[in-house]
Amino acid sequence: MKLNTDMRVNRISDEVWEIPVTEKSGMLVPARIYATPAILQSMDAGVFEQVTNVACLPGIRRYALCMPDGHWGYGFPIGGVAAFDVRSGIISPGGVGYDVNCGMRLIRTDLTQEDAQPHLDRLLMELFRRVPAGVGASGFVHLNRSSFEQVMTNGARWCIEQGFGWHRDLEAIEEGGCITGADPSKVSDQAVSRGINQLGTLGSGNHYLEVQVVASDRVCDKETASAWGITGHNQIVIMVHCGSRGFGHQVASDYLKVFERAMRRYGISVKDQQLACAPFTSVEGQDYFSAMNCAANTAFANRQVITHQIRESFAAVFGRSAEEMGMELVYDVAHNIAKVERYPEGELVVHRKGSTRALGPGSPDLPPRYRMTGQPVICGGSMETGSYLLVGTEGAMEDTFASTMHGSGRTMSRAQAKKAVRGEQIQQQMKQRGIIVKAVSISGLAEEAGFAYKNISEVVEAVDRAGITKTVAELRPIGNIKG
Amino acid sequence: MSHEFHFLDDVATADLAFDAVGDSLQDLFQGATNALIETLADPQTVRSSWQQTIVRADEDPAALLFDWLSDLVYWKDAAGVVFSKAHVALTHRPDGAWSLNGLLSGEPVNGSTQMLRADVKGVTKHLYRLGQERGRWTVRVVLDV
Repeated sequence: MKLNTDMRVNRISDEVWEIPVTEKSGMLVPARIYATPAILQSMDAGVFEQVTNVACLPGIRRYALCMPDGHWGYGFPIGGVAAFDVRSGIISPGGVGYDVNCGMRLIRTDLTQEDAQPHLDRLLMELFRRVPAGVGASGFVHLNRSSFEQVMTNGARWCIEQGFGWHRDLEAIEEGGCITGADPSKVSDQAVSRGINQLGTLGSGNHYLEVQVVASDRVCDKETASAWGITGHNQIVIMVHCGSRGFGHQVASDYLKVFERAMRRYGISVKDQQLACAPFTSVEGQDYFSAMNCAANTAFANRQVITHQIRESFAAVFGRSAEEMGMELVYDVAHNIAKVERYPEGELVVHRKGSTRALGPGSPDLPPRYRMTGQPVICGGSMETGSYLLVGTEGAMEDTFASTMHGSGRTMSRAQAKKAVRGEQIQQQMKQRGIIVKAVSISGLAEEAGFAYKNISEVVEAVDRAGITKTVAELRPIGNIKG
Repeated sequence: MSHEFHFLDDVATADLAFDAVGDSLQDLFQGATNALIETLADPQTVRSSWQQTIVRADEDPAALLFDWLSDLVYWKDAAGVVFSKAHVALTHRPDGAWSLNGLLSGEPVNGSTQMLRADVKGVTKHLYRLGQERGRWTVRVVLDV
């Protein structure tokens, strides 16, 4: 099999591949890549280089992992998972990503495509108006420093207190929408200035708000789907993909600089400057963890405010309240984060960068409503090809630190995609296929063309066959809002 | 004296990358600045109703350029603006440090009059390198979008 690396890659199974520690000087554990043979062959050289760089970081346990949607990233590959001992290990902004707690949220409705189709244009216009996107967009929530600090510490809970959502939403958000240990005093003034006006905004790049349809023949696990309110019958659902915006990025940038200096003090050397890190228990490590949690909570709040705006938009267009339309939150997951979790090895700092937590049935870390089924995992595809709802498994808890894929993963650069097609063309082609797209930057649409991404169905098949998540339903787009 | 930049097809799968070239270090700074401004919005569609002066100094010109480009990203979010132009004046001080005096011009984001492009979240150090090749200054920059 021809791969984009000279390193030896051993087959563990048809979906799991291992690079032994002998392949790179300094590797402390093997690297494992989850992929079908076809996906493995298509992976860029950066994945192999970066996942083995991660395997060299102090205190890493078991394996450095990469999911099948993996591709080159900063420091860690996108799709990267690594767990470090809380006492002897490190924490690294490169293992979290710049967009701290970038994540996915799915909202169900009782509406069908037949209900929505006649109003779809107006609905997209309303959503586009109420959920600002693109360069420099600011939200409708006006915060001062004190209230922004409450957002940092209380996350989505702050939103519920302000009336931006329902109390029961919190049960359907990872960590209840509020991670403890956030300390605003560890956040720079620059980060505050960048983030204070951005609550309730989508951003740009691959972030989006999508109206989707669940057809009955696309529900693979009817029992689990039903438990989460997914009924099929051309049901309308809404997916949101965004994170902590400029705030999270500034937190990451600030602490990369801090860690570059700290590494010299702690005698840590890394294979790539973007893997700058510090011992988790060090002052620098704890300060970053506190600041990162502020950004994570802000991202939960961002998606909660957007959810409020989505409900308001639907209510305005359909003339019924969001409650009457059954607009309940299915789940909200982070896919760029570091968290302390307990495994057989003890307490570990699990870094997921472009990877989703996937707790299986019975996990005590899940609220009662998900304990029987396992945790919902929301995976976004390209705007042309659709997305998936999966469920966490015991296999993920045993093999991958309860982690799985997060999306389809790019195969083509933004610059290449823009040369291959124009944004207007994509918009027209999608309209002909029944997908309405509203975008702030039409040229940016070309960058997000479906052909620039891996086939998400193949990626989902890989994690399904590997047993680290199971497919629940496929979601087909009919309306998309982008920055 | 001249500067130029071009975006790269095969670097940074999920993000944007460019190479900038200049006859002098100041030219290089101007070229890289123009590349970042063009990434955010078409500067021809942006007026100059907002201005911000930025003064920075560093012994390392690579660190100085990195921080200056990061300043543009910061002001984009903090002031909610995109840029029409930026003037960069670079001087080499007797103490060996490089001093930068920058003037950013732009206006608040307005999607109905400006051609907006990518919302750059930050400048990264991935593949970041500033140096001289065949008598000209060069830099490679990967932007997180």
